Amino acid sequence: MPQFSTNEFVSLEKDVEVKRKTVEANSHEIDRLYEIQRCLEWIKTNNFKKVCLQFPDHLLPHSSDVAVKLQNLLGHEVYILGDTAYESCCIDYVAAAHINADAIIHFGSICFSKTSANIPYLNIYEKHYMELKNLETAIHETFNEKEIQELTLLIDDDYIHYYDDLCEMFNICRICKVDEDLSELSNYGPVLYIGQNERKLINIDLSFNVKCLYYYEPDKNPPKITPFQQNTKIIKRRHFLIEKIKDANTIGIVIGTLGVKNYLKVIERLKKLAEANGKKYYLISVGKPTVAKLANLGEIDIYVMITCAMNEIYDSRDFYKPIVTPFDVEIALNNTNGTNINNFTFDYNFYLNKLENIDNVEKGNETDVSLLSGKLRSLRNPESKLESESSQIALKSEGTLTTHSHFGAGYLQQRSWKGLEQNLGDTEVKLAEEGRTGIAQEYKNEHF
Amino acid sequence: MVNFTVDEIRGMMDKKRNIRNMSVIAHVDHGKSTLTDSLVSKAGIIAGAKAGETRFTDTRKDEQERCITIKSTAISMFFELEDKDLVFITSPDQREKEEKGFLINLIDSPGHVDFSSEVTAALRVTDGALVVVDCVSGVCVQTETVLRQAIAERIKPILFMNKMDRALLELQLDSEELFQTFQRIVENVNVIIATYNDDTGPMGEVRVDPSKGSVGFGSGLHGWAFTLKQFAEMYAEKFKIDVVKLMNRLWGESFFNPKTKKWTKQKDADNKRSFCMYILDPIYKIFDAIMNYRKEEYESLVQKLGIQIKHEDKDKDGKQLLKVVMRTWLPAGEALLQMIAIHLPSPVTAQKYRMEMLYEGPHDDEAAIAIKTCDPNGPLMMYVSKMVPTSDKGRFYAFGRVFSGKVATGMKARIMGPNYVPGKREDLYEKAIQRTILMMGRYVEAIEDVPSGNICGLVGVDQFLVKTGTITTYKDAHNLKVMKFSVSPVVRVAVEPKNPADLPKLVEGLKRLAKSDPMVQCIIEESGEHIIAGAGELHLEICLKDLEEDHACIPIKKSDPVVSYRETVSEESDQMCLSKSPNKHNRLFMKAQPMPDGLAEDIDDGKVNPRDEFKARARYLSEKYDYDLTEARKIWCFGPDGTGPNILVDCTKGVQYLNEIKDSVVAGFQWATKEGVLSEENLRGVRFNIYDVTLHADAIHRGGGQIIPTTRRCLYACLLTAAPRLMEPVYQCEIQCPEVAVGGIYGVLNRRRGHVFEEMQVAGTPMFVVKAYLPVNESFGFTADLRSNTGGQAFPQCVFDHWQILPGDPLESGTRPYNVVQDTRKRKGLKEGLPDLSQYLDKL
Repeated sequence: MPQFSTNEFVSLEKDVEVKRKTVEANSHEIDRLYEIQRCLEWIKTNNFKKVCLQFPDHLLPHSSDVAVKLQNLLGHEVYILGDTAYESCCIDYVAAAHINADAIIHFGSICFSKTSANIPYLNIYEKHYMELKNLETAIHETFNEKEIQELTLLIDDDYIHYYDDLCEMFNICRICKVDEDLSELSNYGPVLYIGQNERKLINIDLSFNVKCLYYYEPDKNPPKITPFQQNTKIIKRRHFLIEKIKDANTIGIVIGTLGVKNYLKVIERLKKLAEANGKKYYLISVGKPTVAKLANLGEIDIYVMITCAMNEIYDSRDFYKPIVTPFDVEIALNNTNGTNINNFTFDYNFYLNKLENIDNVEKGNETDVSLLSGKLRSLRNPESKLESESSQIALKSEGTLTTHSHFGAGYLQQRSWKGLEQNLGDTEVKLAEEGRTGIAQEYKNEHF
Repeated sequence: MVNFTVDEIRGMMDKKRNIRNMSVIAHVDHGKSTLTDSLVSKAGIIAGAKAGETRFTDTRKDEQERCITIKSTAISMFFELEDKDLVFITSPDQREKEEKGFLINLIDSPGHVDFSSEVTAALRVTDGALVVVDCVSGVCVQTETVLRQAIAERIKPILFMNKMDRALLELQLDSEELFQTFQRIVENVNVIIATYNDDTGPMGEVRVDPSKGSVGFGSGLHGWAFTLKQFAEMYAEKFKIDVVKLMNRLWGESFFNPKTKKWTKQKDADNKRSFCMYILDPIYKIFDAIMNYRKEEYESLVQKLGIQIKHEDKDKDGKQLLKVVMRTWLPAGEALLQMIAIHLPSPVTAQKYRMEMLYEGPHDDEAAIAIKTCDPNGPLMMYVSKMVPTSDKGRFYAFGRVFSGKVATGMKARIMGPNYVPGKREDLYEKAIQRTILMMGRYVEAIEDVPSGNICGLVGVDQFLVKTGTITTYKDAHNLKVMKFSVSPVVRVAVEPKNPADLPKLVEGLKRLAKSDPMVQCIIEESGEHIIAGAGELHLEICLKDLEEDHACIPIKKSDPVVSYRETVSEESDQMCLSKSPNKHNRLFMKAQPMPDGLAEDIDDGKVNPRDEFKARARYLSEKYDYDLTEARKIWCFGPDGTGPNILVDCTKGVQYLNEIKDSVVAGFQWATKEGVLSEENLRGVRFNIYDVTLHADAIHRGGGQIIPTTRRCLYACLLTAAPRLMEPVYQCEIQCPEVAVGGIYGVLNRRRGHVFEEMQVAGTPMFVVKAYLPVNESFGFTADLRSNTGGQAFPQCVFDHWQILPGDPLESGTRPYNVVQDTRKRKGLKEGLPDLSQYLDKL
C-alpha cells in the first residue's frame, strides 16, 4: 500500500551521516568484538525470549553478522533496532517496546544518562586498539612520581577492555571506568581521561568539577597528554542563550528522549517556569529534530531540547531558532542566585536533583532591559492579567469574533497569507477532474 | 542666597505664559556652561564672583576635572523682570497679566559631538535655545548640527556671541573688524536657520537679529553681556529717540556723523558706524584704560558710566578690575534674562506649533488638543527624554516635559515605551508615580505636582522605561514621537569583569547603563561577548567609566575598540542561484545585486520605508533610481528587522502558490540579512530578486520548514556569487587649526586612510577648517595623534557620516577584508575559513 507509507527503498537507500569509523573486523573477530559468548550467557541465564540488538549507525554493517551468530547459537530470533529514534547512545526502550521485547543488548558507546524504563539491558562496548606502551611513556613524560601516585585514570568505554592491563601496569594509580559512579571524582587529584569523545570530556568536566583534567587520545599521533582547557566558549554562549530565552514569548519544548530518567519531571519543571514568566509553551515531539522540522513552527522563539547529555544538536547553528538546554531555561527564568551559570551541565538530571522544590519559581524584578534588542521586556508578564484583558471579545468589522493576544491565533493573524480566498462568484465553476496520484514523496506525475 | 523658594517656583508653574523652557547649545568649548553660570548667579544660587568659574551645571566630578560637559543638566530658576522691560513682551500668550516673575527652566547641554544625543534629549523638552558661538572661532560644525536639530524640533533660537574678551585682549581686533566678525556670524547662523526653516511655516520667522535684541554679546567667563537694548536704553534719553528705533540704528549699515549729528546709511569720511561708535568704543576704552593701568582715565570712565564699584573691589587692577567693572556695568545675567523672557516662546506659544511634530496620534484627539493648548486640566501627556542617575544605585529619575495635564505624586499613570501600539499591551505598564521632583542642577527638590508646560523628574517609573517614553492618563493616547539622533553608535568595545565571578554584576550594570545613556547600546553577541557601542571614543570612555564606577561597581577589562562592519555586494550575481528545499521539491531561483548609490541612505532616513504606500514608493524608486516600475511595486520586504537597508523584490511571473510562501521567504530573508554569509554581520545595500520558484503541490510540503532555511541558503549563494564586499563606517571630521598646523593634519590623515574634501580659512581669523572623511576604524587615537603632530593646535570633531566599501575581496586570502572576516568569525566562534558556495548552491 504505497499510498499510506513511504516506500521501504527510501529508508534503505537513505544516506546516513556517520561520524565515527567502523572498526574493521572479519567474521571471527566479531566473536571477540561483540562478546557473542557473553551475550549468549546473559540471554540464557535470564531466559529472555525476545531480545533486541541496538547498534549505532556506524556499527550497523556488522549487525547482521552478530544477529545471525546469536540466532544460530540461541535457536530463536533476535531483533535488530536499526534506526534509533533519538540518540544511539541512549537505550531505545520505545523501539524495543514495539515488539514487547524482554531485553536489549546495546552495542557501542553509551551515554550513561540515567534511564527511565526498566527493561533489562546489557552494554557491549566497542573495543578500540590502544598502544599501552605509548600511554606509559606519555604518563611518565607528563607527570612526576608523586603526581602519578595521585593520578586517577578514567577509561572511556571504547578502552574499557584494557582495564585489567591498565590495573596491572599502573598499580599505584587509581583507575576508574567511565560506567562507574563518578561522583567522587571531584575529591581526587589530577584525572587523566583516556578516550576520544570530546563531548564526554566536557560533560565530565562540567558535571564533576574535576580539579585537574587531562586527556589522552590513543589514536592521535604522536600520542600525548594534554591538559583540558575548560571550554569557556560553551559557558559564554550560555549568556547569549539566556538572554534569548528571556526575550522569547513562546518556548518549544522538544522531546528528544524517552529513555533518560526524569524526562517527564523536567518537562513539568519547564512548563512551570514558562507559566510563571508569562511565556507560552508548546510541547513538541518530532522524532529526530531537523532544521526543516523545527522551522515549520514559526511562532516559537526558542527550543528547549529534552535529551541526553551527549546530543550534539545543542552546538548546531543551522537552526532557524536557537536550541537550549533545560539548564539554560532554569537559569534564565528562575531568579535564584543559587544556580550559578558556571555549574552548567548538558545533563539536566544534575541540576534537577539539586532543586529543592520543583514547584518553586523565584521571582525577580518585574522588568528588565534586553541585551539583545535594548528594549524593555517584562519578566513577570502576568498571565492572569493578560487573560482577563483578552477575555473581552470585540466585534471585528468582518463580523468575526476575536480576542487579542500575542499567541496562537494572534500570531497567525500577523501572517500575510491567511488561506485560500474563496472569491465566490468570481471563480468559474468547473467539473471535477482527475488530480495527482501517489504520495507526496514523489507523485506519479513528478520526476526527480 | 538663593532668592526664591520651591513654593515660589511651584506657584510660577501654574502661570504657564511666564514659563520659558530653554536649552543652551553650542559647539564644544564655546562656553555654554560658563555662560550659564551668569544666570545661575543672578538667581542667587552661586555667588556672583564665582560665576564663570563654577560651571554649576557641570555636576559630575569628571565634568569639572576635564572642563567638558558630558550630561545635560537642568535647573529651574525664578526671576522678575522690570516694568520697562515687560513692555517688550507684546504677545498675550507670552505673559500672564500683572505677573512680573518668570520661571526659567534651563538645560545646559554638552558640546562635544560624541554627546549629541544629550542635546537631542534636551531640545525635545524645551521650546527655545540659546545658541552660543565663540566669536573668535565662529560657527563650527557642531553649532550647525545642533542648530539644525533645534529647527527640526521647532525650537526657537536666540544667539549669543561669547568670548568677546578674547577678541579684544588676544586678537586685538579693531572695532570695525569685530563688527564684521559679528555680522558674519549672525549671517552664518541665519543661513543655517533659513536652510531648515520655512519663514511661512508655523513657527514663523525665527531669524536672529541684533537690532531686535535677540542677539547678545559678551563674555561668559568675565560675566558681562549686553544686547543692543541695553545700549539703546542708555542713549535713548540723550538722543531723544525711542528705544526700539534706536536699536535699529545701532546695528548694520547705520552711520552717525558727530559733527553734523546726522544719521546716514552710507559710510563716508566723517561718519562712523553707530555700532562701533556707541557700543564698541566705550568698551574698548575701558579695556584699554584698565589693561594698561591708566588709573585716572578709567576711574573717570567708570564714574561717567555710573558704575558703582564695591569697596572691596576698589584695590583690584588689571584683568581682575576689568571683570568687576564690566560685570557691574553690563551684568550678563540681566542681558540673558531679557533675551530669554522677551524672545523665547512660552509653552503656550510653542506647543501650538510643536504638537504636530510631537504627537503620533490623530491631531484632533483629546491628547493632541490638550498639548496644543497646553491645558493643565487635560489628560496628562509627558515625554520622558532621559534618565538621570539618583544617589540610590541602579535607580533613576525619569526626566521630561509635561505637555498637558498635571503629573502628581502618587497618581496612577500609563507608562508607554517606544514600542507601544494603541490597543496592544506590549511596552505598556500602569503604575503609580512615586514622587515628582524638581531638578536643580546637582540638587533635587520634592514637589507635590507639576502642571503642563514644565520640566520635571519622576521617581518610580524607571523600572518600566529604557531611555525614553511617554507617560499619560489618557487611555487612547498614542506615543509622543521618539527622538531621532544625529549620531550613531559605531564604535564598540567588548567588556568583561576582571573577576569572572562578577559577571552578574556586569550584566546588571550594562542594563543600567543602557537605561541611562540616551544612545549607548549594550548588547550580547552570539558568542556571549558583552559589547558596548557608542558614538566615539570619548563617549565610550565615559560609558565605561560610569559602568565601572556607578553601574556595575566592579573592575572591568575592556578590549580595544572595534567597529562593526556591514556585508554587501559589488556586482550582480554571476549566475542564477538555485537552492532546493530539504525535501528537494521546492526550488528558489534568485540573484543579488547592489543597490544604486543613495538608496540605502534613503532607507536609513526613512525616505523609503516599509510603511509607504507601495505605488508612491515605486514611483519614487523608479524616478530617482531608475527601478522598473512593476518590480518596484513588488518589494516584499525590507531587512534586517523589517526596516533595514536591504530589499527583496518579487520578479516572478505567474508563479502558483507564491503568496503562500511569502511569509516563509520573508522570514528567511530577515534571517540572512541579519547574519550575512561572510561573518554574520548585517547586510547593507543589497537588493535580492526572486526570479522563479517551483513549489510542491501540497501545502504541507512547502511550509516554513522547507522554505525558510532554503531561502537563507539561496540568499547566501546569491551573495557569494555577487562579488561580496565589506563596508566600514566613516566619520566626517572637522578640524580647526592655525595655518601652520594644516600640513601636520594632512600627514596624520594620510596615514589613517583619510582624505580631505574641503579646506578653508575662517574669514576674519587666522584659523583654518579642514574637513575630511576618516574610516572610524582608523580614528582610534586620532585626537592624540593629531595633537602631537600639530603641537596641540588641532582639535578634531568626528561624527559618523556614511558607510563605504572596504577595498579588497574578502574571499581572497591575504586581503584586508579577508582578515577582517576571519577575525570576526573567530571572535564569534564560527568556523574559520571561507563559506563554501557548494553548501548553498544546488544543481538543477
